[in-house]
Amino acid sequence: MNLFTRPMRLLTAVVLEETGDAVVKALLELGVLDFVHLNRLDPAQMEKLSSRPSAISRTMLEDLRSRVEALLRQGHISLPSAQNLDVRRLEKPDMEQYRATLDGLTASLLSIKEEQKQSNQILMGLEEIRRYLDEDKGEYLDLRVGSIPSDKTADLAARISSFGGLLEALGDEGTLVSLTLRRDVAQVDPILEKFGWTEASDPTLQREAITVIRTRLEGERQRALAGRQESEKAADAIIASKREELFSIWSNLRLNELSDQIKSYFSYTNNTTLFSGWVPVDQSEKVREAIITASDGQCVIEWTEAGEVDRSEVPVAITSPKALKPFQNMVNNYATPEYGTVNPTIFVMIAYLTMFGLMFADLGQGLVLLIAGILFSRSYKKNPLKKEGMITRNVANLLVYLGLSSMLFGVLFGSTFGLDLFPALWFPYEAVVAGHAPADSLITDVYGILGLTIKFGIVIIYMGLVLNWINLARKRNFLTLVLDKNGIVGGLLFAVGLYMGFGFVGSGYHSFPSGAWIAPTIAISLVALLSRPFIHAVIEAKESGVKPKVGSLIMDGLMEWLVDVLEIFTGYLSNTLSFMRVAGLGIAHASLMESFRMLQDLAGGAGGIAIFIAGNLLVIVLEGLSAGIQSLRLNYYEFFSRYFSGKGVAYHPVGLTTSSRTRS
Amino acid sequence: MSSNDPVDVYGFIHAKLRARIGKMRQDRLVENLLKAPTLVDAVALLRDSPYRRVAEVYDRTGDLQQMELVLLYTEIEMHRLVTKYLEGRPAGLVDHLLAKIELDNLKNTIRLWYSSIVRRRPIRFRSEYLFKEQILTPIDWVALVNTTSWQEVQKLLSHTPYHEVVSSFTMEMIEEEGLFLLESRLDRAWYVRLMETLDTLSARDREVARSIFLVEIDLRNLATLVRYGRYYQMDGSDIAALLLPWGTVASSKEGARYLAQSPTERDALALINHFYRGLEVIEVGAKRSSSHNEDPGVLENLQIEEYLAQRRTELYQKILGGDPFTIGLVLAYFFLFKEETATIKATINGKYYGYSEEYIRGVIG
Repeated sequence: MNLFTRPMRLLTAVVLEETGDAVVKALLELGVLDFVHLNRLDPAQMEKLSSRPSAISRTMLEDLRSRVEALLRQGHISLPSAQNLDVRRLEKPDMEQYRATLDGLTASLLSIKEEQKQSNQILMGLEEIRRYLDEDKGEYLDLRVGSIPSDKTADLAARISSFGGLLEALGDEGTLVSLTLRRDVAQVDPILEKFGWTEASDPTLQREAITVIRTRLEGERQRALAGRQESEKAADAIIASKREELFSIWSNLRLNELSDQIKSYFSYTNNTTLFSGWVPVDQSEKVREAIITASDGQCVIEWTEAGEVDRSEVPVAITSPKALKPFQNMVNNYATPEYGTVNPTIFVMIAYLTMFGLMFADLGQGLVLLIAGILFSRSYKKNPLKKEGMITRNVANLLVYLGLSSMLFGVLFGSTFGLDLFPALWFPYEAVVAGHAPADSLITDVYGILGLTIKFGIVIIYMGLVLNWINLARKRNFLTLVLDKNGIVGGLLFAVGLYMGFGFVGSGYHSFPSGAWIAPTIAISLVALLSRPFIHAVIEAKESGVKPKVGSLIMDGLMEWLVDVLEIFTGYLSNTLSFMRVAGLGIAHASLMESFRMLQDLAGGAGGIAIFIAGNLLVIVLEGLSAGIQSLRLNYYEFFSRYFSGKGVAYHPVGLTTSSRTRS
Repeated sequence: MSSNDPVDVYGFIHAKLRARIGKMRQDRLVENLLKAPTLVDAVALLRDSPYRRVAEVYDRTGDLQQMELVLLYTEIEMHRLVTKYLEGRPAGLVDHLLAKIELDNLKNTIRLWYSSIVRRRPIRFRSEYLFKEQILTPIDWVALVNTTSWQEVQKLLSHTPYHEVVSSFTMEMIEEEGLFLLESRLDRAWYVRLMETLDTLSARDREVARSIFLVEIDLRNLATLVRYGRYYQMDGSDIAALLLPWGTVASSKEGARYLAQSPTERDALALINHFYRGLEVIEVGAKRSSSHNEDPGVLENLQIEEYLAQRRTELYQKILGGDPFTIGLVLAYFFLFKEETATIKATINGKYYGYSEEYIRGVIG
């Protein structure tokens, strides 16, 4: 894992045009080059370069690939992934042939779906009749028992079925049962009359007729249902039969899309191809060798170090272990760090999990979160196509960590499902909140808990400040490092503030500490802060040769200083006190568990157990959610605001694993 | 206890609907559906959308009308969800919008009944495409579609808001004239109840809702005047009976003059331009004519209807930018939602029949 952002180098290369395709394949396979447009050459040279429009537009490639994906999804087949891509198989796509294949498959599929629709409609008609029979809605049905003189049963059956009805033989003596809907009586009666229908006079035949027609109805219904299901399977099967061909088409289209994406960054002269892009330093040798091999050694490669370019132009890549992905996502969701700065992931992990553990400390409840996280993660691994619900893949992974953190702090505070089943390793949190902590406990009242969380907050804030100083030192921005509200002076004023604050509390809220060094320290720090904009102006004037207007410099400098002072005195105070919410939520957690315990004792027996379980579940959901959200807020605001500028540009190399959704 | 404070009443539902509207715009589902080359591609898009159940029904049945029934279920669920988060009088208005869905379901049921009993064409499985559960009023839809007499239809609707209109028609009238007049009167009755419902709202909500619905009524009246006055060339008195008696168009001199003219003299464009200037500069007519090889009258009618549809869209866009704590946002959301579901229906049908994107756009406007 990189503690800082990955070092990058800028590659610029020229190859012969005839080796361009081979070079593209090599770069695509490596997938580490974040291409940039060539704009660093002088205008005269740029004029000699041209771009080449693609033979097949990327939109056409994407559209056809979407069609393949639609067919695969219709057939309930998992879409191919980057693992299916092999650059050696990259070839010019035969779009006409692909379209013909897809059109043919679609036509076959639609034909099957049409059959399915017809089965469905027959089924619906039969279901309607069956429902009326089952619900005793005989008034909607027209059941007849009779016979026709001539042997035209088949003809009559066909006419009856055109109304969705059924005609069935009853016994061997030519008696028939006709079942239609009452609403069709006006049309069915003339048909029956035309066929010479005679009603049977035996009333006992009615009962037998219902049984016979039900059996027939059920048989037809099963046939129609089977027909519909067979069509559904046939639709899947026809697509499955073309799976390999579809995968092959998809792969080639995707490779061509990626290849086209790379070529869109290329510039051309009559005989050469030029391109440029950022590469992580640890991959630069591989890239160099790949280009040399692909171009048969006929190439020119130049490297530019990241330090020679404006920092804001260098793309930022962060490498964190896969296990830290949930925290990497937290960082990515906020912003991209500046190039060359600290990789915040591990610090976010430590801060976040500690905050969560302090707010949601319970061995048993933590175990529930852990188990839930493991189960959901496994479920997603087993079913890659599974749609994400409220518990997404990311949240499932995070739950595992949260569970472990909660369990650890549960052990430290001696809480298991709100019960003190074993002694606390640190101090008994719930006993402290309830007001009956042992006298020898490290913390004996809620003020102690509040104090603990404030101290924790101070540690977090200083951690952020130190990270900021490291970043600024690496950027060689020493002026800001020393004279900024988040610089050394800011940190010093914060330390003085803390000294004064703790001293005031320590005196029983009577007086502030009165050391002789305090006032001069504050004064010197404030003056130092005031000097910053002026020093900055002098440096800028020396570099640019342009002198600033004195009047506006003084005004701007004073305003900036006032804002900084205000931010230091109010911001640090509010940020520190903000960590009291950690205590607040932890106390609320303990109090809720205490309340449920009391209710459980009052109810007793099975009711008490039910209250115990329901109470724990409620707390896990509500308090767990609150603690998770508040931890995120503290990270994003109180922690990140000290050091995370978020001015970086993300590293987006073009390779086989490039997401099709993130392409511009 | 219900609150009268608009923020209390609309705060939560506002946030919920704004998020949904934002998602609608972000997903661009309708736009992507129109671009889908085949029905299979269109269904694939639905799989990843809030309409995935529609795609699942297609997998199971291959039946577009079953897909449309699922869309109807979705619409009804949406209305009920919004009503759940509103209290009191605003919920009453949303219920009345749900009543419009019930009315459409009633019209479909009566049409099927008419086809079966009056026209004597077997409807077979088609009754299974009706929504058969209670929407608002307890109506026995199964009995309605199965009854064999008009008297029975009237009896089944005797305890519903539709009884008065339905009982004013006899079987002979239905047989001779068809259902057009019945449906027009049912629609009118819905609007009458709508205006009554608006009067129960708070002053601010009433102002917002009236501003929306009076424009809706004007647009509808204009469409009626053009369609029946110019294209179908009906008599002025017959058309006047179809107009909704609110808004500026129904009571205008221009409207009266238009009706007084003979069908061949009626100038639909001039009428429209009097109320909504700029129709003559619409470009879509050219786009339509290339894909719709129909007579000029149809093209003109389609052009006008599209123009009016655009005015309607502008009205709701304006509402979205206004005071969020009124009934306006709820109405705007329903408009967008209905537009989305209607376009989905039209698009999947268009793809089924193999119509091009251009053609489908021409139809839906």
